[in-house]
Amino acid sequence: MQLHSRFFGRSIAVLLSTSILLSACGEKRVDSEQRSLDFARLDAFPSTYSLTQSRPVLIQGATLLTGTGEQRESADLLLENGKIKEIGKDLKAPADALVIDGKGKWVTPGIIDVHSHLGDYPAPEIESTQDGNEMTSPNTAEVWSEHSVWTQDPQFPLALAGGVTTLQILPGSANLFGGRSVTLKNVPGRSVQDMKFPGAPYGLKMACGENPKRVYGGKGNAPSTRMGNVAGYRSAWIQASKYKQEWEEYVENGGDEPERDLQMETLAGVLNGDILVHNHCYRGEEMAVMMDIADEFDFQISTFHHAVEAYKVADLLAENNVCAAMWADWWGFKHEAFDMTEANIAIVDQAKACAMIHSDSGVSAQHLNEEVAKAMTAGRRAGFDIQPKDAVVWMSLNPAKALGIADQTGSLEKGKMADVVVWSGNPFSVYTHADQVFIDGELMFDRADKNRQPRSDFELGILEAEGERL
Amino acid sequence: MKKIAVYCTLALGLMAAAGQANTVLIKGGKVHTLAGQGSLDSADVLIVDGKVQQVAASLDVSADQVINAQGKVVTPGVIAPISELGLVEISAASATNDHMVTGDSIGSAFNPVPAYNPKSTLIPFNRAGGVTSAVVFPGISTWDSGAVEAQRVFAGRSFAIKLSGKFDSFEAKDVAQKAYLGEPGSQLAGGSRANAYAKVENALREAQEYRDNRAAIRRGQWRDMDYRLADLEALQSVIKGQEPLMVTADRASDILSVIELGKAFRVKLVILGAAEGWMVADTLAQARVPVVIDAINNVPGSFSSLGARLDNAALLTKAGVKVAISGPGYASTHNVYLSRQSAGNAVANGLPYEEALKSISSNVAEIFSLSGGTLEPGAVADIVVWSGDPLEVTSYPEQVLIDGERQSLTTRSTRLRDRHLKPTKGHDFGYKR
Repeated sequence: MQLHSRFFGRSIAVLLSTSILLSACGEKRVDSEQRSLDFARLDAFPSTYSLTQSRPVLIQGATLLTGTGEQRESADLLLENGKIKEIGKDLKAPADALVIDGKGKWVTPGIIDVHSHLGDYPAPEIESTQDGNEMTSPNTAEVWSEHSVWTQDPQFPLALAGGVTTLQILPGSANLFGGRSVTLKNVPGRSVQDMKFPGAPYGLKMACGENPKRVYGGKGNAPSTRMGNVAGYRSAWIQASKYKQEWEEYVENGGDEPERDLQMETLAGVLNGDILVHNHCYRGEEMAVMMDIADEFDFQISTFHHAVEAYKVADLLAENNVCAAMWADWWGFKHEAFDMTEANIAIVDQAKACAMIHSDSGVSAQHLNEEVAKAMTAGRRAGFDIQPKDAVVWMSLNPAKALGIADQTGSLEKGKMADVVVWSGNPFSVYTHADQVFIDGELMFDRADKNRQPRSDFELGILEAEGERL
Repeated sequence: MKKIAVYCTLALGLMAAAGQANTVLIKGGKVHTLAGQGSLDSADVLIVDGKVQQVAASLDVSADQVINAQGKVVTPGVIAPISELGLVEISAASATNDHMVTGDSIGSAFNPVPAYNPKSTLIPFNRAGGVTSAVVFPGISTWDSGAVEAQRVFAGRSFAIKLSGKFDSFEAKDVAQKAYLGEPGSQLAGGSRANAYAKVENALREAQEYRDNRAAIRRGQWRDMDYRLADLEALQSVIKGQEPLMVTADRASDILSVIELGKAFRVKLVILGAAEGWMVADTLAQARVPVVIDAINNVPGSFSSLGARLDNAALLTKAGVKVAISGPGYASTHNVYLSRQSAGNAVANGLPYEEALKSISSNVAEIFSLSGGTLEPGAVADIVVWSGDPLEVTSYPEQVLIDGERQSLTTRSTRLRDRHLKPTKGHDFGYKR
């Protein structure tokens, strides 16, 4: 299996000598930046996210877990203009800065939950809000999860209180190709565009194993087996390769304009590196097969999700530059989730593959620090030396890498987005709370201030007419 | 309730032949007795023939086995208040599921005991997580086709196990009868929680009628009953007030309805769920109705749990309600041991520490009339020695004793870990290419 050079972040590979941007109506125009064909339609539904930091923030004398493998004691952290401005000792507070006494507190990058269905499977769960799985065809690459997001899902503010600043909302796993994911900043938004992480690449949800074959095989349709799954992926990639080629030929040679196809646009967007593959896949065998499919059709898999057996193929993941998103200890709900070990994340990490925690749950999303703590402990019990400075990466920088946003967030580094959590103590304790959560430098959650605890529309007057939900 | 004392019979027999007691001394740990002696910073626990004989600051006795617990924490074993242990191996593999039957053929008489598999992989796994006993309940599927087909609200009979994995590891039978009210009850009873209520009410009334006219009913000289006689028979200990009726209810108003029902029939109640229990905590306390809650679930997952919050356990306990904490809803059987993480979160949200320990051990024992849950003279020696604070996510059991016997902490999970610890090319069981 060859290594793919393009991976994290959007590909800037130039496919054509004269690069052309596909505009919405299909007319040709020359792109000065020489981008490849925009199958991903990066400018559709553009982000209107516009959080701006109201005042500088200086956190003084805290223990910092930087997300780059460092633990710094009694350090100051200055947030200004939405960015991490400086890390050091005895930093001067700018005028009108919010100064936080960090003594006894720990600071981490904002938690990134790489596997969420918030908004698509909102709370309360009722029949009319089950918008996460377009369970009508094994290939629904044409659907975009953002179009299902109910921004008033009360689970968003709950996740924020747990320190989650960024989340990837994925379609469900019923289909071989479930559709596009979207990466959101965890801020209240009137529209999903208000939450969209500016510039974050799209993802494509794919699913291995039991789910697609059960959903479609159960109806007497393909796929009904794992080999049927694989035939389904390959057929689609053949089609997408052809689609991509037709457009490239059209751009180069002119002639009749090919017809737009939403499903093919998403797949072609993967083939040209603009869209990242997020692949629900439990078993080691299947991950190995999926990596060969990626090789066959020359694309890169970003991340295997729910990768319960990642520990069995950790070396292959490292070799192929593929991440694994895992739980600390969930298992047994399906046969493909039977071979669980709590040391999974640690083993993958020690094999130098990109390992991370994920939630897939509105409850667990609020406690990802605890989930990481359990995985860290299991790693130590397996004999590895894993410290908080190492484990924090599993909920910050590595999910940022998986989402292609590691150059913008995921660690406490100068110039990065000021997505920061101030914890009441060591975050890897059950007793520790997220005291303050900053997104792009703005204080979005403060445990001590009711006015800094966002409530969705749903929560107003729902339990008591005159109050909020709680 | 028909308790059966089955544990340790073999070991006791052998020891009797040898004519000497089997003793274990756990030395120098921080001991939470959850009984009269409270918490002791450093104490010894002496176990004789499977029972705690003494807990004291320093015991100068010899023992067959000595466990050095210095720097460790010693507690009673965790008791899971609700599980499907031994009835479910893989949830989505129907052949390995024995906890649910569809259709209305059997209700309260459904007896899952013959299906119990003590060799389930879930048992060593949860034992290694510190669970020494568990209550096992049947269920009714309230999703997919199960909810459409089922027209009954009684799940059936229950039992309690020790997690020794032995064939004779039943601890008690008919620990409680389980029924569905509130939202799941509504789904099962044709679309209204009122009908679920009516079904339970009717069953209890018919159980009384059966009690009072048993001979005539069995001879067929009586009106036709709505419930089968086996079902009414299974409810006799419930209407006698001997066996609790455990009822699902999350919404505050549903909880109040259940309490009224319990009063009307003088039934001993346990409420399962109680997400909005804090809103009616005083009423629960006055009626002496204990609750089994999913303490870490603060998501308003349904319109019945809009008031879900992380300090539910704290508020209920403060009001005087006896609280048991279950494993988290998303992993309530495979990972029942995670009740300790939920209890830790409850402490982080205001529950006093010792109350949290009780909520995963002694309170559970009290609610379901089981042995265990305390460390005091005469108590059964189901004990865990933890690497640190048992409610902390970085701690783990280093020793687990059931009836005074040290248990293996090897699990399928640790076996898989050790086989694949360093995956490399050419690795025997790796995926070579």
